[in-house]
Amino acid sequence: MIAEFGLRLSHLQAMLLFAIVISIAFGFLGRRRPADRVKYILWSLFLFLLVGVGIGWAMYPFSR
Amino acid sequence: MADETAVPAAAPHASKSEAVALLFGVAGWLVPGLGHALQKMWGRAVACLLTIGLLVFVGAKMRGNLFSSSGNDAFDSLGYIADLGTGSFYLVAKSLEKDGADVSHADGDYGTRFLATAGVLNLLAALHAYEAARGRKA
Repeated sequence: MIAEFGLRLSHLQAMLLFAIVISIAFGFLGRRRPADRVKYILWSLFLFLLVGVGIGWAMYPFSR
Repeated sequence: MADETAVPAAAPHASKSEAVALLFGVAGWLVPGLGHALQKMWGRAVACLLTIGLLVFVGAKMRGNLFSSSGNDAFDSLGYIADLGTGSFYLVAKSLEKDGADVSHADGDYGTRFLATAGVLNLLAALHAYEAARGRKA
């Protein structure tokens, strides 16, 4: 994955990485108890992916 | 009758704790997670350090655009402010991007977003550290 020109990620990989990292940061900053953090991280991750995939499909008719 | 518009003199203790809170905020901006670490919020400190560090590393390795102070328009200036939000990690990103930015393909464009997000996220974390030091529930 790491070649001489740098790190290459697919669109889906980049979106997944972004969603996971930001969800973890939000969970730790926004909640205090571990159980609440896990719930917040999972919910935030789900919403990130839902919105990302949703916008992707919404743009599909205009992609060609 | 007392003057109701008069502002009571701030207690020296309050101004000192405000200064300490500001110090924690600035420390959190300079080194992601340091503002929380100084308050012994270890989980948050490690989470900030790792998430912001990972975003900067991936963004730089994807050859995202790291804006400089010599921007041409408002968007460049905003990008520079966002990138500066990573504090000392701005220099780390600069050292990682030996060949400079390449936004001619999607990876570079994603990298630019990763770097900007890392900066804005670090500013949020620094603000959180500042508010926590002021005694706000966090």
